[in-house]
Amino acid sequence: MNKEYIIIAFTENQIGVLNRITSCYLRRKINIESLKVSESPIKGISMFVISAFTTAETIEKVAKQIRNIIDVLQVNFYDEAELITQEIALYKISSRPFRENGRVDALSRQWGTRLIEFSSKYVVLEKTGTREEIEELKQELEANNLLQEFTRSGSVIIHRDSVFDQLHETIENGTKQQR
Amino acid sequence: MANKIKVKGGEALLLSLIEEGVDVLFGYPGGQVIPIYDHIYDYKDRIHHILTRHEQGAVHAAQGYARATGRVGVCLATSGPGATNLMTGIADAMLDSTPLVCITGQVPSSLLGSDAFQEADTISMTMPITKWNYQVTTASEIPKAVAKAFYIARSGRPGPVVIDIAKNAQVEEMEFAYKPCISLRSYIPRPMLQPETIARAVEMINAAERPLVLVGQGVKLAGAEQKMIELAETGNLPMTTTLMGISAIPNDHPQFVGNLGMHGNLAANQMTQHSDLILAVGMRFSDRITGDVSQYAPQAKIIHIDIDPAELGKNLRVDLPIHADAGDALEALKVGLKHKDRSQWFDFARQQWEIERERLSHTTDHKNQYISMAEVIRSLAETEQGNAVIVTDVGQNQMFAALYSKFNRTRSFITSGGLGTMGFGLPAALGAKLGVPDREVVAVLGDGGFQMTMQELGTIMQNRIGVKIIILNNTYLGMVRQWQELFFNHRYSFTQLENPDFSLIAKAYDIPSERIMRPEELNGALERMKQASGSYLLEIVVLPEENVFPMVPAGASLSDLIFNS
Ligand SMILES: Cc1ncc(C[n+]2csc(CCOP(=O)(O)OP(=O)(O)O)c2C)c(N)n1
Ligand SMILES: [Mg+2]
Repeated sequence: MNKEYIIIAFTENQIGVLNRITSCYLRRKINIESLKVSESPIKGISMFVISAFTTAETIEKVAKQIRNIIDVLQVNFYDEAELITQEIALYKISSRPFRENGRVDALSRQWGTRLIEFSSKYVVLEKTGTREEIEELKQELEANNLLQEFTRSGSVIIHRDSVFDQLHETIENGTKQQR
Repeated sequence: MANKIKVKGGEALLLSLIEEGVDVLFGYPGGQVIPIYDHIYDYKDRIHHILTRHEQGAVHAAQGYARATGRVGVCLATSGPGATNLMTGIADAMLDSTPLVCITGQVPSSLLGSDAFQEADTISMTMPITKWNYQVTTASEIPKAVAKAFYIARSGRPGPVVIDIAKNAQVEEMEFAYKPCISLRSYIPRPMLQPETIARAVEMINAAERPLVLVGQGVKLAGAEQKMIELAETGNLPMTTTLMGISAIPNDHPQFVGNLGMHGNLAANQMTQHSDLILAVGMRFSDRITGDVSQYAPQAKIIHIDIDPAELGKNLRVDLPIHADAGDALEALKVGLKHKDRSQWFDFARQQWEIERERLSHTTDHKNQYISMAEVIRSLAETEQGNAVIVTDVGQNQMFAALYSKFNRTRSFITSGGLGTMGFGLPAALGAKLGVPDREVVAVLGDGGFQMTMQELGTIMQNRIGVKIIILNNTYLGMVRQWQELFFNHRYSFTQLENPDFSLIAKAYDIPSERIMRPEELNGALERMKQASGSYLLEIVVLPEENVFPMVPAGASLSDLIFNS
């Protein structure tokens, strides 16, 4: 059964690793839903968070193939429930309702957003939340014909148990953990 | 080398190769590697450079060299078309776990990404077909890149790596000092054995009534042939080989029961289906070995030893995966293994062999006035007494060579397994001969595949490489014709060949040759070929529509072997 799986990979910060990792998905014609690369808390090591819809069996094989890439230090995969996942979204909306009743702050609070920028033409609001929460507000704004532009960050995740313990061990021992 | 010396990047490359023990380099020059070639001119006595006639020839020759010797094969090509011409061989080496270092030239780093003359994005193009690749843009990176490349290519599960060197890095000066690479924190080439897993495996093998060992190329790559045989003898276990494992076990070993897979032997495939325990060593359960996976080895528990953890459980369910070097695992398994009487099980093997012989004998009746390919390989095995290195091309020639060759030494069967690359045979054979000059090397080629890389006769001529060449001329792309006959209602769509006069071609290259077409000429011709001191080309006109049997049709169960059309 297809469901969303998130792979978290730590790699040497080397050119080409990104291509090698995505090619493990491409080969099996799995569409990547979101992908984020950032510096991990350890200098020189990058953290990849990739989400895609596939089966439990396939994601395990993909994870093994990613683990085989020379510059990859550690790979784990999770289903959504195992992770705390948040997204950040920016909503650019018409300033009309605010001009009409001047209740910018109240509305923003009601939506759970933060006011980033305000002009006579538009207002930019920021919201942090689960994908569903972000989506819900988007739909509400759309239904009211307010939404002009919308962007989201992709998943920012943190594991309930630490994904870093193993990584620290790897770095200290100077070799990748066998799995 | 402790002392630093000032050299140009191109020279640093050659010094690095020498540090890695490279003695032969297969290559083809061009604009973006001219500086390297200028240094090769000075290093001719230390590195034997072989100029092939095509970059595909260079990479396949490097593969043949690596497969025959166990050392890393090295090839060199220019940027753009030189690099793209290497692709087939690199992909082939990736699937067949062949250690290669492929060096390509690249446009100067200031021009990267600008569609400069002969620029190709070699790094992106080779990414999915290399174990690792790296672009060098400054001379000082060269020794480290080469050290890492060799370490990665030969350790763990071996494979091809590419180093793409921008032209400016070849001409810049740098301080040369060489330090071999011995470890990388993100890479475990030699996994540690888990004692509990080994103990569990020993228990499973000891409990089995009908065990079967599947010997893959991993046994050769680990240099564990002897350990494999000792283990099998200790436990009285029958052994089979995959296509890539052929020659790891001598054919005349009493516990050797034949080859597995699509064109394997009845005994090996039937034993798979009747076995209660499969011990797979250094192989990857490819679809050509398993047939229909859902019907594969229905009664067996499977123990799978492989150094590549991604292979464990990739193609089928495994009861006990063992992530290990084949040699380490086999040595550990031997301790505690019990010798059991398995005469019934070995009787079953013998019966299957009788059935195979009996069922195939009918199909040879009508061939009298023609030479059969099967007969050629049987006679060749007799002439060479199991001592030759047999290098095949792809197609019926390959499958007959696999079925009927005899070996008493390892690393003696060199074939393109995973990719099935036509054109592999001739250049791989010349590379193998350069690697093991004291051994007889025989290329067994189809008339189709030979014509894909036959320009390498020029390389053989110029370098006096004493490789023996057999062309099985059936005037067909025989293996495809066989499928058309069996599965496409005899509709021979574009598989018939009108061939040139191969002996004239041999003559043009100054290679002695002979052409035979009658069965009674066969033994004499093979003997003359064997006696020839240099290269020799023997064209054998064979039965045009011979089929390779036994055969497991694609996607069928191993139980459903067919023996005739
Ligand atoms: C480069 C390449 N192209 C196409 C094929 C498909 N193919 C597999 S076997 C074969 C026929 C080979 O004919 P020949 O070399 O005459 O050998 P034979 O089967 O007749 O012994 C072909 C076309 C291939 N394996 N490799
Ligand atoms: Mg042919």
